[in-house]
Amino acid sequence: MKSFLKLKKNWFALLSILIAAAASWGVSLQFRQMLAREKLFPAPSLTQVLHLHDYHPALKGTHGDTKIYRFEGKEPGGKVLLLGGTHPNEPAGYMSAYLMIENVQVARGTLYIIPRANNSAFTHTDPQEGNPQFFTIRGKKGLRKFRYGSRDTNPIDQWPDPDIYLHYPSGQELAGNETRNLNRNYPGRPDGTFTEQVAYAIVKFIQSEKIDLAFDLHEASPEYPVVNAIVSSESSQDIATEAALELAFEDLHYSLEPSPYNFRGLSHREWENYTDALPILMETANPIQGRLRGKTDARLILTGWDKMYLKAAKLGVLSVPYDSSGLPLKVRVGRHIEAFQKIVEIFSRDHPDKAVRILNLPSYSELMEKGIEEFF
Amino acid sequence: MFPEWLIFVVMTLSFILAAMWVKWPIGISLIAASIIGALVAGEGFPVRHLIEGTFAYLDPILIISTAMVFMEVLRRSGALGSLSRLIIVKMHRQPFWLLFFITIFIMFPGMITGLSTATVLTTGALVAPALMHLGIPKLKVAAMIAMSAIYGMIAPPINVPAMIIGGGVDMPYIGFELPLIFATFPLAIGVNLGLGYKYVRQVDLEKILPDLEADAFEAYGWRLYSPLILVVVLLLGIRLFPQFFPNLGVPLIFMIGSLAGLFSGKKFNFWKLSHQSLQEALPVIGILMGIGMFIQIMTLTGVRGMLVIGSLSLPTFWRYLGISTMMPLFGAISAYGSASVLGVPFLLAYLGRNEIIVGSALSLISGLGDLMPPTALAGIFAAQVVGEGNYFRVLKYTIIPAIATAAWGIAMIVLANQLGKFL
Ligand SMILES: [Zn+2]
Repeated sequence: MKSFLKLKKNWFALLSILIAAAASWGVSLQFRQMLAREKLFPAPSLTQVLHLHDYHPALKGTHGDTKIYRFEGKEPGGKVLLLGGTHPNEPAGYMSAYLMIENVQVARGTLYIIPRANNSAFTHTDPQEGNPQFFTIRGKKGLRKFRYGSRDTNPIDQWPDPDIYLHYPSGQELAGNETRNLNRNYPGRPDGTFTEQVAYAIVKFIQSEKIDLAFDLHEASPEYPVVNAIVSSESSQDIATEAALELAFEDLHYSLEPSPYNFRGLSHREWENYTDALPILMETANPIQGRLRGKTDARLILTGWDKMYLKAAKLGVLSVPYDSSGLPLKVRVGRHIEAFQKIVEIFSRDHPDKAVRILNLPSYSELMEKGIEEFF
Repeated sequence: MFPEWLIFVVMTLSFILAAMWVKWPIGISLIAASIIGALVAGEGFPVRHLIEGTFAYLDPILIISTAMVFMEVLRRSGALGSLSRLIIVKMHRQPFWLLFFITIFIMFPGMITGLSTATVLTTGALVAPALMHLGIPKLKVAAMIAMSAIYGMIAPPINVPAMIIGGGVDMPYIGFELPLIFATFPLAIGVNLGLGYKYVRQVDLEKILPDLEADAFEAYGWRLYSPLILVVVLLLGIRLFPQFFPNLGVPLIFMIGSLAGLFSGKKFNFWKLSHQSLQEALPVIGILMGIGMFIQIMTLTGVRGMLVIGSLSLPTFWRYLGISTMMPLFGAISAYGSASVLGVPFLLAYLGRNEIIVGSALSLISGLGDLMPPTALAGIFAAQVVGEGNYFRVLKYTIIPAIATAAWGIAMIVLANQLGKFL
């Protein structure tokens, strides 16, 4: 009897282990799908594909390496950089970059696009957020599948977090998980953490290519105070102000935010400090990354329509107008692309020797009319 | 399609039924409730979400497992007994200062790591025998340790919930020291005096001494305390000289301390000991994983959003009440989860008041989450440290201190701008 009980107990343990192993195996296959990079169809005017490892060889073969798409115009001019995917849970950022890669044509100057700035952060989703792994768009080139990622570097690439994150070189203290947030790691260092190395490579790239104007595209939750905003530093402030004014005429409203002096590690602050580029960071409002959201699924990425956010809007706790039309991805991408073009235009007007002329990108109203499907 | 509130009711009821009626372990009950929640919400059987949710607790699980081993090592090597003997002999004549220093001493690991469990399992476990020998009932000792651990987690220099709340609104973790000292030290000392002072006012050393463990210090000298010193040096070193100390991570530091314990005092079988300690930690690990799944499903199905919006919709007075109940309730998951999910929206709702004071106060209230069943991490481990099997009996003694803490936090929010002038 005793030995029978023991056997029964062991059988139960064995069975539990087998079930756990089977579940882990199945899920690990699902997790591994997140490592694949989306297939893009760059516009014919693409000149060259560079990699971040060209500027920091240690990144070669790691999840931190990422592509830099270079579009060079026939006429010489200035150099513009656009970063998407600093935070892969902010889809309008990298979807705008993808849309440009697949459609843009450059007549004058050079445009560099890094659509997956923190590539590692694309390879996982955050625990307890219940986020979808993918979302799809029925584009002209077929059914397109895109990743929805995380704000921070994958712990597979950088772990464990310290209890507090000390920013290099300022020594500023932030919560430990911010050590994996690319937009807290600038200017980075070559022998630092994984994320510091990615930040370092980006800064090194901006320095060596002598970028004149650099964008970092983001989104923020609708309740966050800095949203629908253009953040600029001392050197880019004038252009940003002018752009916000002109965009307001088109009924696209932006708040202007100065890059705080004492908040370190952010792209606009450290690009200002460590490079000659004029830094611009732009935010649109994205319900799926907000804490007030209800049901979390791929639909929410595309429509931005959420029952709980409607209630929040009635409570007056949101920083953006929000009604039953939601905040569709095309609106958010449209804002980014329109503001980007406007700022490049103003920069070119102010710096004729470094002018950059960009063609073939939709305007905001064109995107509203045709939808983003038309451009993928 | 079920509405969110109904999904929430179904999940809560299935948890209660599984835990109380079928008498499954709490961790398993949470898993069952999560699966049922996903099913009724039309999400099917989302294995990926269930597994992903558990990963939020990978680091805490490693810390808890290694801390348990480390404490058992200190106990078997004789360090624990000798230290409590030392405290009693040296300090039994000054009851006020005894409790004062013990309070700060317990809080210390929490202050530098921001972790309440690590605090309970280290300094909490170190002083527990001494406090019990001094005559304080073990349930009150456990309550003192649990509360001090929470205050330690919230006290500066490291307060992770405040960092999380600040991070949610891009507020750097600067200038929090004074508000956090104000938020924690008066409460910590008040609570411990309230729970323990009457027992230590008169201590008859002659009566206690025979009960105490023999002093191993004479036999082994400073070597006896070397694992403890090593762990403190490593934890502090990373904090104070980050440029020289590698970031080993708290679990590895505890493991190094445990291995050092093999050569520090009395001999013991390390394999048996670690097997036993992990066995003890297993139910808690199960709870954490179950909670991870539970939250993931709540978020996925919109229940989390409903709870957040519900708390924000409350009118002014009720909102204060909402903060002081919802934040700890949500913290049943963990103080960190509560800080992130509710702390950030509440801080946004109070924009315009002194944000550092409001953030500090919200972090204090979120800390109470570590007392809230079913996880009640601080309570569970404090019960374990004093050898009490039923942690609900410990929680009973933390109710009044917890209410006082919530009231203190709310007062800080109400008076944020006035306090801001001084702190
Ligand atoms: Zn962002």
